[in-house]
Amino acid sequence: MARGGGNRSRLLLVILLVTSLFFITLDLRGVSVTKGSRSVTQSFLAPIQKGVSDLFSPVGRFFSDVKNFPSEKDKVAALASENARLKTQVLVNKDIQGQLTQLKGVLDLAGRGGYRVVAARVIGHGSSSTFSQTLTIDAGSADGITIDKTVIAEHGLVGVVKSVDAHSAIVLLMSDPAFKVGVRIARSQSVGVLSGTGGNSFALQLLDPAGNIVVGDTLFSNGSDGNTPFIPGVPVGVVSSVDHSSATLTQTASVKSYSDLNNVGVVSVVISAPTTAPKTMINPTPRATVIVYVTPTPSPTPTSSLSPSPTPLASKKATK
Amino acid sequence: MSPIRIALNASLLFVAFILQESVISRMHLPITGFSLYLAIIVSMVLLENRTGAVILGFVGGIILDLSPSSQSPFGQWALVLTLVAYVIAVNSESIDEIVSRPVGLGLFVAAGTALSLALYLVLGSLLGESNGSLGRDAIVIAGNFFWTMLISPFFMPILIVIREVTVGARERI
Repeated sequence: MARGGGNRSRLLLVILLVTSLFFITLDLRGVSVTKGSRSVTQSFLAPIQKGVSDLFSPVGRFFSDVKNFPSEKDKVAALASENARLKTQVLVNKDIQGQLTQLKGVLDLAGRGGYRVVAARVIGHGSSSTFSQTLTIDAGSADGITIDKTVIAEHGLVGVVKSVDAHSAIVLLMSDPAFKVGVRIARSQSVGVLSGTGGNSFALQLLDPAGNIVVGDTLFSNGSDGNTPFIPGVPVGVVSSVDHSSATLTQTASVKSYSDLNNVGVVSVVISAPTTAPKTMINPTPRATVIVYVTPTPSPTPTSSLSPSPTPLASKKATK
Repeated sequence: MSPIRIALNASLLFVAFILQESVISRMHLPITGFSLYLAIIVSMVLLENRTGAVILGFVGGIILDLSPSSQSPFGQWALVLTLVAYVIAVNSESIDEIVSRPVGLGLFVAAGTALSLALYLVLGSLLGESNGSLGRDAIVIAGNFFWTMLISPFFMPILIVIREVTVGARERI
Protein backbone atom coordinates (compact mmCIF):
# COMPACT_ATOMS: atom_id res chain seq x y z
CA MET A 1 0.00 0.00 0.00
CA ALA A 2 1.37 3.36 -1.00
CA ARG A 3 2.49 5.52 1.86
CA GLY A 4 4.14 8.91 2.11
CA GLY A 5 3.65 12.49 3.32
CA GLY A 6 5.05 14.55 6.16
CA ASN A 7 4.92 18.30 6.64
CA ARG A 8 2.87 18.69 3.49
CA SER A 9 0.14 16.36 4.75
CA ARG A 10 0.15 18.07 8.15
CA LEU A 11 -0.33 21.46 6.53
CA LEU A 12 -3.09 20.01 4.36
CA LEU A 13 -4.75 18.52 7.44
CA VAL A 14 -4.79 21.91 9.18
CA ILE A 15 -6.20 23.63 6.07
CA LEU A 16 -8.95 21.04 5.66
CA LEU A 17 -9.87 21.08 9.36
CA VAL A 18 -10.11 24.87 9.30
CA THR A 19 -12.25 24.63 6.14
CA SER A 20 -14.56 22.15 7.87
CA LEU A 21 -14.86 24.42 10.90
CA PHE A 22 -15.58 27.32 8.55
CA PHE A 23 -18.44 25.33 6.96
CA ILE A 24 -19.81 24.39 10.38
CA THR A 25 -19.74 28.03 11.47
CA LEU A 26 -21.50 29.12 8.29
CA ASP A 27 -24.18 26.49 8.79
CA LEU A 28 -24.76 27.33 12.44
CA ARG A 29 -25.09 30.99 11.49
CA GLY A 30 -27.79 30.02 9.00
CA VAL A 31 -26.01 30.87 5.75
CA SER A 32 -28.23 29.73 2.90
CA VAL A 33 -25.40 28.29 0.77
CA THR A 34 -24.96 25.27 3.01
CA LYS A 35 -28.71 24.77 3.44
CA GLY A 36 -29.18 25.04 -0.32
CA SER A 37 -26.61 22.35 -1.02
CA ARG A 38 -28.68 19.79 0.90
CA SER A 39 -31.78 20.91 -0.92
CA VAL A 40 -30.04 20.32 -4.27
CA THR A 41 -28.99 16.84 -3.14
CA GLN A 42 -32.54 16.12 -2.09
CA SER A 43 -33.84 17.15 -5.52
CA PHE A 44 -31.25 14.89 -7.13
CA LEU A 45 -31.83 11.91 -4.84
CA ALA A 46 -35.63 11.98 -4.70
CA PRO A 47 -36.22 10.49 -8.21
CA ILE A 48 -33.60 7.80 -7.53
CA GLN A 49 -35.13 6.98 -4.15
CA LYS A 50 -38.56 6.83 -5.79
CA GLY A 51 -37.27 4.42 -8.43
CA VAL A 52 -35.54 2.26 -5.85
CA SER A 53 -38.65 2.33 -3.70
CA ASP A 54 -40.74 1.00 -6.61
CA LEU A 55 -38.14 -1.63 -7.36
CA PHE A 56 -37.43 -2.89 -3.84
CA SER A 57 -40.74 -2.42 -2.08
CA PRO A 58 -41.73 -6.12 -2.38
CA VAL A 59 -38.49 -7.24 -0.72
CA GLY A 60 -37.61 -4.14 1.28
CA ARG A 61 -39.01 -5.50 4.52
CA PHE A 62 -37.53 -8.94 4.12
CA PHE A 63 -35.14 -8.65 7.05
CA SER A 64 -37.67 -7.13 9.43
CA ASP A 65 -40.23 -9.76 8.41
CA VAL A 66 -37.73 -12.55 9.10
CA LYS A 67 -36.85 -10.96 12.44
CA ASN A 68 -40.49 -10.69 13.44
CA PHE A 69 -41.49 -14.12 12.15
CA PRO A 70 -42.19 -15.82 15.55
CA SER A 71 -44.35 -12.97 16.80
CA GLU A 72 -46.01 -12.65 13.39
CA LYS A 73 -47.02 -16.31 13.57
CA ASP A 74 -48.93 -15.71 16.82
CA LYS A 75 -50.37 -12.56 15.37
CA VAL A 76 -51.68 -14.46 12.32
CA ALA A 77 -53.42 -16.99 14.59
CA ALA A 78 -55.01 -14.21 16.64
CA LEU A 79 -56.05 -12.39 13.51
CA ALA A 80 -57.58 -15.53 12.05
CA SER A 81 -59.91 -15.93 15.03
CA GLU A 82 -60.68 -12.25 15.05
CA ASN A 83 -61.43 -12.44 11.35
CA ALA A 84 -64.00 -15.17 11.94
CA ARG A 85 -65.70 -13.04 14.58
CA LEU A 86 -65.68 -10.00 12.36
CA LYS A 87 -67.19 -11.93 9.46
CA THR A 88 -70.37 -12.43 11.45
CA GLN A 89 -70.39 -8.77 12.38
CA VAL A 90 -70.03 -7.83 8.74
CA LEU A 91 -73.32 -9.59 7.97
CA VAL A 92 -75.08 -7.49 10.60
CA ASN A 93 -73.48 -4.28 9.48
CA LYS A 94 -74.09 -4.65 5.78
CA ASP A 95 -77.01 -2.24 5.72
CA ILE A 96 -75.06 0.52 7.42
CA GLN A 97 -72.06 0.05 5.16
CA GLY A 98 -73.70 2.28 2.59
CA GLN A 99 -73.93 5.03 5.17
CA LEU A 100 -70.31 4.57 6.15
CA THR A 101 -69.17 4.76 2.54
CA GLN A 102 -71.04 8.00 2.10
CA LEU A 103 -69.62 9.37 5.34
CA LYS A 104 -66.14 8.42 4.31
CA GLY A 105 -66.54 10.26 1.06
CA VAL A 106 -67.83 13.35 2.84
CA LEU A 107 -65.27 13.38 5.59
CA ASP A 108 -62.27 12.30 3.46
CA LEU A 109 -58.77 12.39 4.89
CA ALA A 110 -59.14 16.00 5.92
CA GLY A 111 -61.48 14.69 8.57
CA ARG A 112 -64.07 16.27 10.75
CA GLY A 113 -61.61 18.93 11.77
CA GLY A 114 -61.58 20.32 8.26
CA TYR A 115 -57.84 20.03 7.79
CA ARG A 116 -56.61 19.91 4.21
CA VAL A 117 -54.04 17.22 3.69
CA VAL A 118 -51.72 15.96 0.97
CA ALA A 119 -51.18 12.22 0.82
CA ALA A 120 -47.64 11.06 0.05
CA ARG A 121 -45.72 7.83 -0.30
CA VAL A 122 -42.59 7.13 1.72
CA ILE A 123 -39.70 6.76 -0.73
CA GLY A 124 -36.70 6.78 1.61
CA HIS A 125 -35.53 6.47 5.16
CA GLY A 126 -32.85 8.42 6.99
CA SER A 127 -29.32 7.19 6.53
CA SER A 128 -28.00 4.95 9.28
CA SER A 129 -24.86 7.07 9.35
CA THR A 130 -26.52 10.28 10.46
CA PHE A 131 -28.23 9.19 13.71
CA SER A 132 -31.28 11.20 12.65
CA GLN A 133 -34.66 9.58 12.19
CA THR A 134 -36.19 10.86 8.98
CA LEU A 135 -38.38 9.82 6.07
CA THR A 136 -38.37 11.06 2.50
CA ILE A 137 -41.81 11.45 0.92
CA ASP A 138 -42.73 11.89 -2.74
CA ALA A 139 -44.64 15.16 -2.35
CA GLY A 140 -43.13 18.60 -2.08
CA SER A 141 -43.68 22.30 -2.51
CA ALA A 142 -45.43 21.69 -5.85
CA ASP A 143 -48.15 19.91 -3.85
CA GLY A 144 -48.46 22.75 -1.37
CA ILE A 145 -46.17 21.36 1.32
CA THR A 146 -44.00 23.77 3.28
CA ILE A 147 -41.65 23.19 6.19
CA ASP A 148 -42.99 22.76 9.74
CA LYS A 149 -46.18 21.00 8.68
CA THR A 150 -47.65 18.16 10.71
CA VAL A 151 -47.31 14.70 9.17
CA ILE A 152 -49.80 12.01 10.12
CA ALA A 153 -50.32 8.38 9.18
CA GLU A 154 -53.26 6.03 9.44
CA HIS A 155 -53.18 5.87 13.23
CA GLY A 156 -51.73 9.17 14.32
CA LEU A 157 -48.78 11.52 14.41
CA VAL A 158 -45.64 10.62 12.45
CA GLY A 159 -43.53 13.76 12.53
CA VAL A 160 -43.01 17.17 11.04
CA VAL A 161 -41.75 18.38 7.66
CA LYS A 162 -38.13 19.46 8.01
CA SER A 163 -37.18 20.43 4.48
CA VAL A 164 -38.95 20.61 1.15
CA ASP A 165 -38.06 20.71 -2.50
CA ALA A 166 -40.37 20.73 -5.51
CA HIS A 167 -41.35 17.06 -5.53
CA SER A 168 -40.10 15.60 -2.27
CA ALA A 169 -39.80 16.44 1.39
CA ILE A 170 -37.88 15.24 4.42
CA VAL A 171 -39.94 14.40 7.48
CA LEU A 172 -38.35 14.45 10.92
CA LEU A 173 -39.86 11.44 12.69
CA MET A 174 -41.22 11.75 16.19
CA SER A 175 -38.68 9.13 17.28
CA ASP A 176 -35.77 11.49 16.55
CA PRO A 177 -34.05 12.62 19.77
CA ALA A 178 -34.42 16.24 18.65
CA PHE A 179 -38.19 15.92 18.24
CA LYS A 180 -40.51 17.45 20.85
CA VAL A 181 -44.28 17.91 20.76
CA GLY A 182 -46.76 19.34 23.24
CA VAL A 183 -49.38 16.76 24.17
CA ARG A 184 -52.60 16.60 26.16
CA ILE A 185 -53.78 13.61 28.16
CA ALA A 186 -57.31 12.78 27.03
CA ARG A 187 -58.47 11.63 30.48
CA SER A 188 -57.25 14.48 32.66
CA GLN A 189 -56.53 17.18 30.05
CA SER A 190 -53.10 17.66 31.66
CA VAL A 191 -50.48 18.92 29.24
CA GLY A 192 -46.93 17.73 28.80
CA VAL A 193 -44.03 17.44 26.42
CA LEU A 194 -43.32 14.25 24.48
CA SER A 195 -39.75 13.72 23.27
CA GLY A 196 -38.24 11.20 20.89
CA THR A 197 -35.57 8.92 22.27
CA GLY A 198 -34.18 7.45 19.07
CA GLY A 199 -36.03 4.16 19.65
CA ASN A 200 -39.57 2.85 19.71
CA SER A 201 -40.55 4.42 23.03
CA PHE A 202 -41.06 8.07 23.80
CA ALA A 203 -40.52 10.13 26.94
CA LEU A 204 -43.42 12.12 28.35
CA GLN A 205 -42.96 14.83 30.95
CA LEU A 206 -45.98 16.59 32.41
CA LEU A 207 -45.85 20.35 32.78
CA ASP A 208 -48.42 20.41 35.53
CA PRO A 209 -46.95 19.35 38.94
CA ALA A 210 -50.44 18.38 40.17
CA GLY A 211 -51.23 16.27 37.09
CA ASN A 212 -50.95 12.52 37.09
CA ILE A 213 -50.38 9.88 34.44
CA VAL A 214 -51.92 6.43 34.34
CA VAL A 215 -50.85 3.51 32.16
CA GLY A 216 -53.16 3.42 29.16
CA ASP A 217 -53.67 7.19 29.03
CA THR A 218 -54.21 8.38 25.50
CA LEU A 219 -52.21 11.36 24.28
CA PHE A 220 -53.27 13.86 21.67
CA SER A 221 -51.21 16.69 20.22
CA ASN A 222 -51.81 19.98 21.93
CA GLY A 223 -51.32 22.14 18.85
CA SER A 224 -49.01 25.05 18.18
CA ASP A 225 -49.55 28.72 17.61
CA GLY A 226 -50.99 29.11 14.11
CA ASN A 227 -51.07 25.30 13.78
CA THR A 228 -47.36 25.31 12.95
CA PRO A 229 -45.62 22.96 13.39
CA PHE A 230 -48.35 20.94 15.12
CA ILE A 231 -52.08 20.87 14.70
CA PRO A 232 -54.18 19.98 17.74
CA GLY A 233 -56.07 16.75 18.30
CA VAL A 234 -53.86 14.27 16.48
CA PRO A 235 -53.55 10.92 18.29
CA VAL A 236 -49.93 10.63 19.39
CA GLY A 237 -49.61 7.55 21.56
CA VAL A 238 -50.55 5.67 24.68
CA VAL A 239 -48.75 5.61 28.03
CA SER A 240 -47.01 2.25 28.47
CA SER A 241 -45.31 2.80 31.81
CA VAL A 242 -45.16 5.51 34.45
CA ASP A 243 -42.05 6.59 36.30
CA HIS A 244 -42.96 6.79 39.99
CA SER A 245 -39.62 8.15 41.19
CA SER A 246 -39.72 11.47 43.02
CA ALA A 247 -36.54 12.75 41.37
CA THR A 248 -38.41 15.17 39.11
CA LEU A 249 -40.88 17.88 40.00
CA THR A 250 -43.46 16.64 37.52
CA GLN A 251 -44.39 13.09 36.58
CA THR A 252 -42.70 11.33 33.68
CA ALA A 253 -43.75 8.31 31.65
CA SER A 254 -42.83 6.12 28.74
CA VAL A 255 -45.14 6.27 25.74
CA LYS A 256 -45.80 3.93 22.84
CA SER A 257 -46.64 5.58 19.53
CA TYR A 258 -49.86 4.82 17.67
CA SER A 259 -47.98 4.87 14.38
CA ASP A 260 -45.53 2.10 13.55
CA LEU A 261 -42.73 4.41 12.45
CA ASN A 262 -40.57 1.56 11.13
CA ASN A 263 -43.18 0.38 8.68
CA VAL A 264 -45.04 3.50 7.67
CA GLY A 265 -45.62 3.50 3.90
CA VAL A 266 -48.12 6.27 3.25
CA VAL A 267 -48.48 9.53 5.14
CA SER A 268 -50.58 12.67 4.98
CA VAL A 269 -49.17 16.15 5.37
CA VAL A 270 -51.59 18.65 6.88
CA ILE A 271 -51.18 21.72 4.69
CA SER A 272 -53.86 24.02 6.02
CA ALA A 273 -56.05 24.41 9.06
CA PRO A 274 -59.85 24.82 8.94
CA THR A 275 -61.35 28.27 8.75
CA THR A 276 -64.44 27.32 10.71
CA ALA A 277 -65.03 25.43 13.96
CA PRO A 278 -64.43 22.77 15.12
CA LYS A 279 -60.69 23.14 14.92
CA THR A 280 -59.51 20.55 17.35
CA MET A 281 -60.61 17.28 15.81
CA ILE A 282 -59.05 15.23 13.11
CA ASN A 283 -60.16 12.16 11.26
CA PRO A 284 -57.50 9.51 11.88
CA THR A 285 -58.51 7.69 15.04
CA PRO A 286 -56.41 5.44 17.25
CA ARG A 287 -56.33 1.80 16.22
CA ALA A 288 -58.15 0.72 19.37
CA THR A 289 -61.19 2.87 18.66
CA VAL A 290 -61.83 1.87 15.06
CA ILE A 291 -63.78 -1.31 15.74
CA VAL A 292 -65.74 0.27 18.57
CA TYR A 293 -67.20 3.01 16.43
CA VAL A 294 -67.93 0.88 13.39
CA THR A 295 -70.25 -1.58 15.13
CA PRO A 296 -73.38 0.28 16.21
CA THR A 297 -76.79 -1.41 16.21
CA PRO A 298 -78.64 -1.43 12.86
CA SER A 299 -80.77 1.57 12.02
CA PRO A 300 -84.43 1.21 13.17
CA THR A 301 -85.77 2.42 9.81
CA PRO A 302 -83.57 0.72 7.24
CA THR A 303 -86.13 0.62 4.43
CA SER A 304 -86.98 4.29 4.37
CA SER A 305 -83.58 5.83 4.98
CA LEU A 306 -81.17 3.45 3.33
CA SER A 307 -82.86 2.36 0.12
CA PRO A 308 -81.05 4.13 -2.69
CA SER A 309 -83.14 6.41 -4.83
CA PRO A 310 -83.29 5.30 -8.47
CA THR A 311 -81.06 7.09 -10.94
CA PRO A 312 -82.70 9.01 -13.80
CA LEU A 313 -81.65 6.27 -16.23
CA ALA A 314 -83.15 3.59 -14.02
CA SER A 315 -86.39 5.54 -13.70
CA LYS A 316 -86.60 5.92 -17.44
CA LYS A 317 -86.19 2.19 -17.95
CA ALA A 318 -88.78 1.50 -15.29
CA THR A 319 -91.38 3.68 -16.98
CA LYS A 320 -90.89 1.87 -20.26
CA MET B 1 -2.88 12.49 -5.49
CA SER B 2 -3.58 13.73 -9.01
CA PRO B 3 -6.73 15.74 -9.80
CA ILE B 4 -7.96 12.89 -12.00
CA ARG B 5 -7.68 10.45 -9.11
CA ILE B 6 -9.43 12.85 -6.76
CA ALA B 7 -12.25 13.12 -9.29
CA LEU B 8 -12.40 9.34 -9.75
CA ASN B 9 -12.41 8.69 -6.02
CA ALA B 10 -15.05 11.38 -5.50
CA SER B 11 -17.20 9.78 -8.23
CA LEU B 12 -16.85 6.39 -6.59
CA LEU B 13 -17.79 7.88 -3.24
CA PHE B 14 -20.77 9.62 -4.77
CA VAL B 15 -22.03 6.33 -6.21
CA ALA B 16 -21.59 4.76 -2.76
CA PHE B 17 -23.45 7.71 -1.25
CA ILE B 18 -26.40 7.23 -3.62
CA LEU B 19 -26.41 3.50 -2.82
CA GLN B 20 -26.39 4.29 0.89
CA GLU B 21 -29.20 6.86 0.72
CA SER B 22 -31.40 4.95 -1.73
CA VAL B 23 -30.88 1.25 -1.09
CA ILE B 24 -29.04 0.51 2.16
CA SER B 25 -31.16 2.88 4.24
CA ARG B 26 -34.29 1.07 3.05
CA MET B 27 -33.07 -2.30 4.34
CA HIS B 28 -34.51 -2.81 7.79
CA LEU B 29 -31.61 -4.81 9.17
CA PRO B 30 -31.51 -5.95 12.79
CA ILE B 31 -29.51 -3.72 15.18
CA THR B 32 -29.92 -0.53 13.13
CA GLY B 33 -28.04 -1.55 9.98
CA PHE B 34 -24.78 -0.19 8.68
CA SER B 35 -23.17 2.53 6.63
CA LEU B 36 -21.70 1.16 3.44
CA TYR B 37 -20.49 4.64 2.65
CA LEU B 38 -18.37 4.96 5.79
CA ALA B 39 -16.98 1.47 5.30
CA ILE B 40 -15.94 2.32 1.74
CA ILE B 41 -14.27 5.56 2.82
CA VAL B 42 -12.26 3.81 5.54
CA SER B 43 -11.25 1.11 3.04
CA MET B 44 -10.21 3.66 0.44
CA VAL B 45 -8.23 5.66 2.99
CA LEU B 46 -6.29 2.48 3.79
CA LEU B 47 -5.14 2.32 0.19
CA GLU B 48 -3.89 5.91 0.01
CA ASN B 49 -0.78 7.75 1.13
CA ARG B 50 -0.98 10.36 3.90
CA THR B 51 -1.87 13.32 1.66
CA GLY B 52 -4.30 11.29 -0.42
CA ALA B 53 -5.97 9.90 2.71
CA VAL B 54 -6.56 13.36 4.17
CA ILE B 55 -8.01 14.71 0.90
CA LEU B 56 -10.17 11.60 0.52
CA GLY B 57 -11.46 11.93 4.09
CA PHE B 58 -12.37 15.57 3.54
CA VAL B 59 -14.07 15.01 0.16
CA GLY B 60 -15.89 11.97 1.54
CA GLY B 61 -17.05 13.99 4.53
CA ILE B 62 -18.33 16.81 2.35
CA ILE B 63 -20.36 14.34 0.27
CA LEU B 64 -21.82 12.82 3.44
CA ASP B 65 -22.63 16.30 4.73
CA LEU B 66 -24.82 16.72 1.66
CA SER B 67 -27.15 13.99 2.95
CA PRO B 68 -30.63 15.56 3.08
CA SER B 69 -31.52 13.42 6.08
CA SER B 70 -28.62 14.79 8.09
CA GLN B 71 -29.50 16.97 11.06
CA SER B 72 -25.94 18.05 11.78
CA PRO B 73 -24.25 21.24 10.58
CA PHE B 74 -22.68 21.11 7.15
CA GLY B 75 -18.99 20.32 7.61
CA GLN B 76 -19.30 18.08 10.67
CA TRP B 77 -18.69 14.87 8.74
CA ALA B 78 -15.88 16.55 6.78
CA LEU B 79 -14.12 17.39 10.03
CA VAL B 80 -14.64 13.92 11.47
CA LEU B 81 -13.55 11.98 8.39
CA THR B 82 -10.53 14.21 7.77
CA LEU B 83 -9.35 13.46 11.31
CA VAL B 84 -10.07 9.74 11.02
CA ALA B 85 -8.28 9.56 7.66
CA TYR B 86 -5.25 11.31 9.11
CA VAL B 87 -5.14 9.03 12.14
CA ILE B 88 -5.28 5.97 9.88
CA ALA B 89 -2.63 7.35 7.53
CA VAL B 90 -0.25 8.30 10.36
CA ASN B 91 -0.47 4.82 11.85
CA SER B 92 -0.13 3.11 8.50
CA GLU B 93 2.99 1.15 9.45
CA SER B 94 1.36 -0.71 12.32
CA ILE B 95 -1.96 -1.01 10.47
CA ASP B 96 -0.34 -2.75 7.50
CA GLU B 97 0.30 -5.84 9.60
CA ILE B 98 -3.31 -6.02 10.77
CA VAL B 99 -4.97 -5.49 7.40
CA SER B 100 -2.79 -8.03 5.60
CA ARG B 101 -5.20 -10.75 6.78
CA PRO B 102 -8.85 -10.73 5.59
CA VAL B 103 -10.24 -10.99 9.12
CA GLY B 104 -7.95 -8.22 10.30
CA LEU B 105 -9.01 -6.07 7.38
CA GLY B 106 -12.69 -6.58 8.17
CA LEU B 107 -12.13 -5.81 11.82
CA PHE B 108 -10.11 -2.70 10.98
CA VAL B 109 -12.68 -1.29 8.54
CA ALA B 110 -15.43 -1.94 11.11
CA ALA B 111 -13.36 -0.28 13.84
CA GLY B 112 -12.68 2.71 11.59
CA THR B 113 -16.41 3.07 10.92
CA ALA B 114 -17.20 2.82 14.62
CA LEU B 115 -14.51 5.41 15.42
CA SER B 116 -15.99 7.79 12.83
CA LEU B 117 -19.47 7.42 14.30
CA ALA B 118 -18.20 7.90 17.85
CA LEU B 119 -16.25 11.03 16.86
CA TYR B 120 -19.30 12.33 15.05
CA LEU B 121 -21.37 11.89 18.21
CA VAL B 122 -18.76 13.57 20.39
CA LEU B 123 -18.48 16.52 18.03
CA GLY B 124 -22.29 16.68 17.81
CA SER B 125 -22.53 16.85 21.59
CA LEU B 126 -19.97 19.66 21.63
CA LEU B 127 -22.07 21.52 19.09
CA GLY B 128 -25.21 21.01 21.21
CA GLU B 129 -26.99 18.36 19.14
CA SER B 130 -29.44 15.85 20.61
CA ASN B 131 -28.28 12.37 19.71
CA GLY B 132 -30.46 10.27 22.00
CA SER B 133 -29.43 8.17 24.93
CA LEU B 134 -25.89 6.87 25.35
CA GLY B 135 -27.16 3.29 25.36
CA ARG B 136 -29.00 3.75 22.10
CA ASP B 137 -25.94 5.35 20.46
CA ALA B 138 -23.78 2.49 21.70
CA ILE B 139 -26.18 0.01 20.07
CA VAL B 140 -26.06 1.94 16.78
CA ILE B 141 -22.27 1.94 16.77
CA ALA B 142 -22.11 -1.74 17.76
CA GLY B 143 -24.61 -2.60 15.00
CA ASN B 144 -22.56 -0.71 12.46
CA PHE B 145 -19.40 -2.47 13.62
CA PHE B 146 -21.03 -5.88 13.30
CA TRP B 147 -22.54 -5.36 9.85
CA THR B 148 -19.48 -3.59 8.45
CA MET B 149 -17.31 -6.49 9.55
CA LEU B 150 -19.64 -8.85 7.69
CA ILE B 151 -19.84 -6.89 4.45
CA SER B 152 -16.25 -5.65 4.10
CA PRO B 153 -14.94 -8.89 2.50
CA PHE B 154 -17.46 -8.39 -0.32
CA PHE B 155 -16.61 -4.84 -1.38
CA MET B 156 -12.92 -4.69 -0.51
CA PRO B 157 -11.77 -6.75 -3.55
CA ILE B 158 -13.85 -4.48 -5.80
CA LEU B 159 -12.16 -1.40 -4.36
CA ILE B 160 -8.71 -2.92 -4.86
CA VAL B 161 -9.51 -3.70 -8.51
CA ILE B 162 -10.80 -0.15 -9.05
CA ARG B 163 -7.64 1.24 -7.49
CA GLU B 164 -5.45 -0.91 -9.71
CA VAL B 165 -7.27 0.50 -12.72
CA THR B 166 -7.26 4.14 -11.63
CA VAL B 167 -3.80 4.49 -10.03
CA GLY B 168 -1.08 5.28 -12.56
CA ALA B 169 2.01 3.05 -12.69
CA ARG B 170 4.24 5.94 -11.59
CA GLU B 171 2.18 6.58 -8.47
CA ARG B 172 2.27 2.93 -7.52
CA ILE B 173 6.08 3.06 -7.46
